[in-house]
This record gives sequence, structure tokens and C-alpha cells, in this order.
Amino acid sequence: MLPHSFTMITFENVSKIYKSETPALNDVSVEIDKGEFVFLVGSSGSGKTTFLRLLLREEAPTKGTIIEAGRDLGSLPKWRVPFLRRNIGCVFQDFRLLPNKTVFENVAFALEVIGRPKSVVKSQVPQVLELVGLGQKMERLPSELSGGEQQRVAVARAFVNRPLILLADEPTGNLDPTTSEGIMTLLDRINRTGTTVVMATHDKQMVDRMRRRVLELDHGVLVRDQSRGVYGIDDSAGGQM
Amino acid sequence: MPNFTDYALRETASNLWRNRLMTIAAILTVTISLTLVGAALVLKQGAANAEQIWQRDTQVSVWMSPTASPSEITAVASQLHQLPYVRSCTFRDQAYDYEEARKLLTPAEFSVLRASDMPTSFRCTPVQSQDAQIVVDRFMNQPGVQNVRAPLQQIHAMQQTITVLQWVFLAVAVVLLLSAAVLIINTIRLAIFARRREISVMKLVGATNWFIRVPFMAEGLTQGILGSGFAALLVYGLHLWLDTLGNPSNPNALLTQISLNGWQIFWTDAVLVGVGALIGGVGSSLAIRRFLDV
Repeated sequence: MLPHSFTMITFENVSKIYKSETPALNDVSVEIDKGEFVFLVGSSGSGKTTFLRLLLREEAPTKGTIIEAGRDLGSLPKWRVPFLRRNIGCVFQDFRLLPNKTVFENVAFALEVIGRPKSVVKSQVPQVLELVGLGQKMERLPSELSGGEQQRVAVARAFVNRPLILLADEPTGNLDPTTSEGIMTLLDRINRTGTTVVMATHDKQMVDRMRRRVLELDHGVLVRDQSRGVYGIDDSAGGQM
Repeated sequence: MPNFTDYALRETASNLWRNRLMTIAAILTVTISLTLVGAALVLKQGAANAEQIWQRDTQVSVWMSPTASPSEITAVASQLHQLPYVRSCTFRDQAYDYEEARKLLTPAEFSVLRASDMPTSFRCTPVQSQDAQIVVDRFMNQPGVQNVRAPLQQIHAMQQTITVLQWVFLAVAVVLLLSAAVLIINTIRLAIFARRREISVMKLVGATNWFIRVPFMAEGLTQGILGSGFAALLVYGLHLWLDTLGNPSNPNALLTQISLNGWQIFWTDAVLVGVGALIGGVGSSLAIRRFLDV
């Protein structure tokens, strides 16, 4: 085997079946390398969220093996799961900020609850807030921020612990195109620091513009794995852009 | 981990404050139920204490009829002295009882009495209070004996009353303790619900299960220990009150016989606080198990 770059995420024949219904994921095999940026596309119910939940170890696969950051999730004991998650940052469509905490406190919370000392909190939080462009709004409450700014706080919280992997579940789903572009740029910048990014999205324009690797799921089946891909295969044939 | 201690204390305090009404309800229920448990324990030990006193003081009185001949009296006296289960006996003659009567009766009543009317008697202390009944049975029909009396019925009635009270207290206390546990489970459940956003974020960023659980455990423990602390104080108050009855002029002076000594009250209170902590701990563990899926 060629000594190509370190594999960050491996799915081997992974299936996930919820209570006797049709599989949410059906025999998916895929490898994602360290430092890659991957778009996960497909219609609602195609299995994107299940894919991410498996990576977070919120669910265990019904069949198959998942290896993430060098660990086999199948043999990972339950009490180790929190330590796995410390290597994974997470961003959601609905931001999931704590409304009664300031921007600074929201980001600091992620470090405090994993037992990082105060000195680390004091140095890291302003730095990462500076990175996402909110250095001037650290004492604001989430309700005083725009949607885009709130999502930036969420990205800062996901990134403050310097995770190996950043998972984003439709991070721009609630945002207008211009704001979305800002978030996208931010995720791209984070990716350039070496963080592997997996982003589930419906945002066709963004996928088409970024030209990154695209994984497409359809009813739980991986139907496309294309490097420098676009959102829909038909559009690509149409030769847009 | 000073950070963690700091965090857990802060979270616990803020949970307790947020749910203060439920917290107060839980603490009060623990207090009331454990006070009843404490009262039952005090009664139980007090009854044991009192029984010792009563047993020591149990006397059998063998009343001779006023017409008993001296030989009959001597016969009873010698038999009493030979019995192995009679520790000691004293003979009281007519003059002694006449003096006793002077103390007990009103002058009008006393004036009609004469010393020769008085019965003579033996006052005997049995080795064990149960032996009193044997003495009663043995001498009841002896020639020259008018009557034999032992305060067995009174002691028996007292013991029965205490036993019944004790069980009533315990039964009520068990029901209340169960409701206290349910209240604690419910407050923890509310606290978990109020913090569900924080909890989901904590799980997401990789906080360990114990890190998430400890503040809720501590909340339940605090409620249990505070409640039992108040109960311990109330039981100590009950103890002090029983002691003040020691003044012989008090009509309830008999109750002082069931008062406890310092060690007994200390252990009773220790048991109460232990039970309170247990209820708080078990209640919050159940709530965490049921409602905090980490």
C-alpha cells in the first residue's frame, strides 16, 4: 500500500437499521483522510444525520466497523466515549448555544466541562473568538447576535479544543446565502489548519462553488464518492460554473 | 481537581436555588419523616431504659390480714427468705403502715383509723421482675395472707402503649420517607430538565458521565442531609424536653424514666443523618438513572 496520508475515518460495510424499518445506512464503506474536507449530500432522510451520529458514537452501527482517529468504535467502552468526543468538534443547524451564557462563557464552557484549567480557558477562548471574528462581542448574549454570529460562536466552541475532526450538520441551513458564505469560509480556514471536516448540507451553490470531495447518500446507500465534486451529478454534466 | 470541585459546588447550589420550592418540600418531608423515625427510636430505647428502672424497682407486697396469727406471719417470713428468686424482703409492722397512712390520707380520713386496724406487710424485691408473678401466685392462698400485689399490670400496659406508639410512628415514617424519596427524585428530575441544554452540550464536547452526574447527586444528598439535620435537631429538642420533666413536681415526671443518655441520643441522631443521606443518595441515583441518559 502506498504510504499516503493518515486515514482519519473509515467506514467498513456499515449498516444502521432503526427498529425493523428500512436501513438508515446500508452497507456504506468509505475512507476519509486526515485534513480532508468532505461534503455529505443527499435528500432529507437519506442517512446524512445517521452518518454523523455514528461518528459521534451517539449510535452504534447495526453491522460493520467504524474506525475513527485510530480507534475502533465497536470495541470502545462506553466510558471512553467522552474522551473520543473531545477529538470531535460539532456544529449544528440550530447552533445549540446556552442562552443564559455570554459568547465568552459559551465557548469557555466547552473547556471547563472537560476539566481544562482556568489559565487555558483565559488564553484559548479570546484567541478562537478572534479567529471567528467575534473578538469584540465576547460579552454579548447569544440573543443579541445575528444568526450568522451565533453560528460563529458555535464554530468557535467546536474548535476551541483543537479537535482532529469537525462535524457540521447543515451549519448554514438557517442562514442567508451571504452569511452562509462567511461560515463556509470559516470552516475552510479551520480545515486548512489540518482539521478534517465533514459537512452535511443541502446548500447546492456552496458545494458547487467549493469543489471538494462529495459523498452522496440516497436511502442509506452511498451512491457517489467524487473528489472535487458538485451537489448533483446532473448539474455537473450540465457544466455550470 | 479544584476546578471540578468548584464547578460541582456552583452547579449544585444553583440547582438547589432554581428549584427552591421543590427543594424546600423535599427537605421538609425528609425532616418530618425522620423526626418520626427519631421519635420512634427514642421511644424504643427509652422504653428499654425505663424497663430497667421499673424492673429494679418492682416490689411485691404481701399483705397479711390484720387477724393473722404471729405463727402465720413467721411462716410467710421464713418461706420468703428461702425463695431463691426473692432478693430481699422487709417486714412492715402496723406502726409503720400507720405512719404511711398518715402521709397518704386526709386528716379527716386518718382520724377514724387506729394502728390496730392496719395490716402488716412484707415488701419484697424479686431478682427479676418476671419472678414477681411467681411470688404473687405462691402466697395468694397462704393462710393469714390477705392479698399479694405487684405492679405488673401497670408495667405491662405501659410497655404495650409504647410498643403500639413505636409501630405507629415507624409506619407513618416509612410512608413519609417513601414520599420524601419521590420528592427528591422529582426535584432532581426537574433540575435535569431545566439543564437539558447544558447537559446536551456537555455530552457533545466530551464531559465525562461523572462530571455531568455529580452536581445532581450532590443536590439530592444535600436535600437528604439538610432534612435529616433538622430532624436530628428536633429529636435532640425532644430529648431535652424529656429531661426537663425530671423535676418531681411535674405531673409527667414518669416520662423522665424514658429519657436517653448522651450517647444514645448521639447515635440516634447519627442514624437519622445516615438515613437522610441514604435517601438523598438513592433518590438522586434513581433520578439520574431514569432521566439522565449519558
